[in-house]
Amino acid sequence: MSGVGPAVRVSIESTCEKQVQEVSLDGMETYVPPLSMSQNLAKLAQRIDFGQGSDSDEEGVEAEPRDPQEWGKTEAEEDEATVKFQPSLWPWDSVRNNLRSSLTEMCVLYDVLSVVKEKKYMALDPVSQDPSAGKTPQVFQLISKKKSLATAAQLLLKGAEKLSKSVAENQENRRQRDFNSELLRLRSQWKLRKVGDKILGDLSYRSAGSLFPHPGTFEVIKNTDINLDKKLPEDYCPLNVQIPSDLEGSAYIKVSIQKQAPDIGDLGTVNLFRRQPKAKAGTQPWHVKLEAAQNVLLCKEIFAQLSREAVQIKSQIPHIVVKNQIISQPFPGLQLSISLCHSTGEKKNQRASPEKPKPDDHLYVLEHNLHQLMREFHKQTLSSIVMPHPASAPFGHKRQRMAGPMAYDKAEISSLQQNEGLLEKIIKQAKHIFLRSRTARTIDSLASRIEDPQIQAHWSNINDVYESSVKVLITSQGYEQICKSIQLQLNIGVEQIRVVHRDGRVISLSHQEQELQDFLLSQMSQHQVHAVQQLAKVMGWHVLSFSNHVGLGSVESIGNASAITVASSNGEYAISVRNGPESGCKVLVQFPRSQSKELPKSDVIQDGKWNHLRGPYKEVHWSKMEGRNFVYKMELLMAALTPCL
Amino acid sequence: MEAPPVSVMPVTGGTINMMEYLLQGSVLDQALESLLHRLRGLCDNMEPELFADHELVYLLKGQQGNPFLLRARRSLSHPTAPWHLRYLGQPEVGDKSRHALVRNCVDVAASHSLPDFLNEMGFRMDHEFVAKGHIFRRGALKVVVSKLSRVLVPGNTDNTEPLSLSSLVELSVLAPAGQDTMSEEMRSFAEQLKPLVHLEKIDPKRHM
Amino acid sequence: MGVTCVCQLPLAEGKSVQQTIDLLHKKLEQLGAVKQGSFTVDCETYHATGNASGQPTKLLYVMHNSETPLSCIALFEGGPCLTADGNFDVLMIKLKSHFQNAKGHKVESRGSRYRYCDFLIKVGAVTMSSSARGISVEVEYCPCVVPGDCWNLMKEFMQSFLGPSIPELPSVFSSKPEGLYAPVDCVDTMTQYLEMFSKVRKQQVLPGTTR
Repeated sequence: MSGVGPAVRVSIESTCEKQVQEVSLDGMETYVPPLSMSQNLAKLAQRIDFGQGSDSDEEGVEAEPRDPQEWGKTEAEEDEATVKFQPSLWPWDSVRNNLRSSLTEMCVLYDVLSVVKEKKYMALDPVSQDPSAGKTPQVFQLISKKKSLATAAQLLLKGAEKLSKSVAENQENRRQRDFNSELLRLRSQWKLRKVGDKILGDLSYRSAGSLFPHPGTFEVIKNTDINLDKKLPEDYCPLNVQIPSDLEGSAYIKVSIQKQAPDIGDLGTVNLFRRQPKAKAGTQPWHVKLEAAQNVLLCKEIFAQLSREAVQIKSQIPHIVVKNQIISQPFPGLQLSISLCHSTGEKKNQRASPEKPKPDDHLYVLEHNLHQLMREFHKQTLSSIVMPHPASAPFGHKRQRMAGPMAYDKAEISSLQQNEGLLEKIIKQAKHIFLRSRTARTIDSLASRIEDPQIQAHWSNINDVYESSVKVLITSQGYEQICKSIQLQLNIGVEQIRVVHRDGRVISLSHQEQELQDFLLSQMSQHQVHAVQQLAKVMGWHVLSFSNHVGLGSVESIGNASAITVASSNGEYAISVRNGPESGCKVLVQFPRSQSKELPKSDVIQDGKWNHLRGPYKEVHWSKMEGRNFVYKMELLMAALTPCL
Repeated sequence: MEAPPVSVMPVTGGTINMMEYLLQGSVLDQALESLLHRLRGLCDNMEPELFADHELVYLLKGQQGNPFLLRARRSLSHPTAPWHLRYLGQPEVGDKSRHALVRNCVDVAASHSLPDFLNEMGFRMDHEFVAKGHIFRRGALKVVVSKLSRVLVPGNTDNTEPLSLSSLVELSVLAPAGQDTMSEEMRSFAEQLKPLVHLEKIDPKRHM
Repeated sequence: MGVTCVCQLPLAEGKSVQQTIDLLHKKLEQLGAVKQGSFTVDCETYHATGNASGQPTKLLYVMHNSETPLSCIALFEGGPCLTADGNFDVLMIKLKSHFQNAKGHKVESRGSRYRYCDFLIKVGAVTMSSSARGISVEVEYCPCVVPGDCWNLMKEFMQSFLGPSIPELPSVFSSKPEGLYAPVDCVDTMTQYLEMFSKVRKQQVLPGTTR
């Protein structure tokens, strides 16, 4: 074929396999869709004449029980049939036909049996028999029925059990998941570690630098004691924590100052924080619990530190540590007490009510500062642990390592070691607070007691814990602009008050209240004389003499008297003022010689020029003078003595 | 000015007999990150500190006996920090059950004139190297992970070459003699670093 | 730590060491100086044992000063010196096969420490193997670390209680390459003590005898 040029293409088209269903008018043929496998099978099955098959089957099955007589009968019938078919053949024709047909049937039966035996194409299923047909006895039937029912029930039960188990498992899983997610949340805020099959947490401040030996461990427990059937309570949490029994409840440090003499008012300021820990919305119960325990731990640490220091520090009046209270005496007659109040749960509620009416003598500021100092202390210990450089060197304080090779002397070394303790700091703060409030009280009581001159105090808002300052102005009402002589800056420290004058003089006052009071009184008395001086300038009078500390006259118990003499512009009159803090003021007016009548005319000074000699002094009844205050009275007096032009 | 009368007598004798408990191991550079990560989790919560040190090993040869070895180390990252002069004794034979190498140790912080002074004393530098790495702390335990580099030009610490592709891991504690509980603590810590690094008691003599 | 001057005080005519010291204490107290504790400076001598090259052995001195209680100063005469912490003493024990401690050579100066304003005065009895050998006087002017700035002041101050026998400017300061204006450190003090100790060691004056 290859040799004969291009092959002739012969198109072979298969005959249409699909049957044409219809041909539309435009010639389109619609095919019957090909049969699917199952449809095909069904179609083929339709072709089988089951009647025949089953007959033969039936025959096959039922053949055995038949009697030989019956066999004979059939044969006879068959004979008849063949006779009818081919009537005029030989006489044994019907027998032959019958035999033949039976052979055929036998063959079919054999085939069927062999096919069934193969089990590949066909399977024999028992045909349900009519129960009546079964010859089984009733008891038997009952037993078998019972048995099958039992198995069925068992099956059902098994299924139910499985179902309920899976439901429980589901729930358990969910709880487990809840626990795990809770644990994860706990883990993100608290230190946890696994020891054996327990989960332990650390609520101590050790990682923040605390050296307190309390282990501060808590245990994480899975909350399992709830009934699965009941609805979960609102605050149910799958995770619970167990804190050490000594950290339960709530605790706080109470700092208070007791005065033997009720000389100062309330030292405490506004209540900064109510102790009852209020659970914020959305916080886990374990978190609240742990925070409370941590607070107890911190309070305990503060107290332990304070009492250790109280025993170690030597002071003139030794600090006393009794049970949960530390008592110290910062100033004579003053007692500072720091106590640790730790109450566990229920007891507190009972005790709280009778305690309430007691006046609140807490020094909240100091309590707060104690906490702050402790944290500072923690931070210090943390930052002092620095890694050694070079890396081979032992751990230790960096500066202490420097001390040897850098040959630090004693002063430098003691500055390294010197670390003021918590107690010392807090006592210093308490002293300062006390001194400050007493100063304020002293100034206030003076201001309310003495109206002339006026005393004003301007407190600075921003203070150090050990130092605050106040500006004290002494003025006369209505003359604030011209009488600005006395401006004092009081720097209140821990032990003493430093007074800085406007001119730069510095005076140190002790913590004694009387000192400050006396000082202010003397300043006030000086102010009056200064005011006269200022007024004289304004009024055109001349200052003849001025002295802050007069050496003459009666001795004042506080400070010194001051005095001034001013003369009117034309020199006719002179006013002399002596003002003492205790003796008060005394104002004298000197008249010109010419005006005095009492003076006997002297023979010596008869010349007119002697008229300018000064005359005698007369005291002014100052209290009877008109005017609302000293400076106003003085102004009136000066005005009266100034000649009209 | 009003310093209290101090009568601190000069220290003679220094600190009492101190022992170094040591476990060593090494970690490949590829695994270093995961080891550092693990250490960060295990150690006191401070950020691991980097260090860069220059170590000089000095020998003093006497007429008889073994040469006397001293290690002088300075920090390259903290040039003002004092030098560290270290004497390490022979490892204690002790009982085999002890988990760590124990040896006598004298740590001296010294001024920067140390190399000159050692030379004057008759010591000669044997070798030098640069160690860079991380330092961790857990309580008294010190973990130093360092990469050692050889110094190519004597004295020039900028010109170095890594000694190997791995880092040295040392777990050590300084304690007065006879505190064998330390080695137990070290062992349990070393256990937690497995399998990232296997810290072992390595006798330096066997490798000499 | 300021500028210091250490000198040896000759014994007063016909007086023992203790008597001379008492005399000086009295003078200082009259001046207004306040006694503030005591002080000690000691010096141990070591010599190298194994000297292979046969060079003359150099002596190594290890000194302590109570003023710098955490430090230990090791120096070679005229050579380099080392400031270290107290563990250096432990190291010297370890080094005993190479450096032998000459026990008999231990010199010590012990005495009282006086403060007069910014000056620290330490008067000590120098002892060597428990026999008094002389008197040391150390004057420190605390606020200044530059000898050139305060030497004259110190000289004047020393005159007030030492009389005519005031020391010259210590050679540690004058011999420095940077001159008088280089800041001092504790080694300068110790070098002065060392120089004074070696002088004392050489002289064979018995206590109580006059010079």
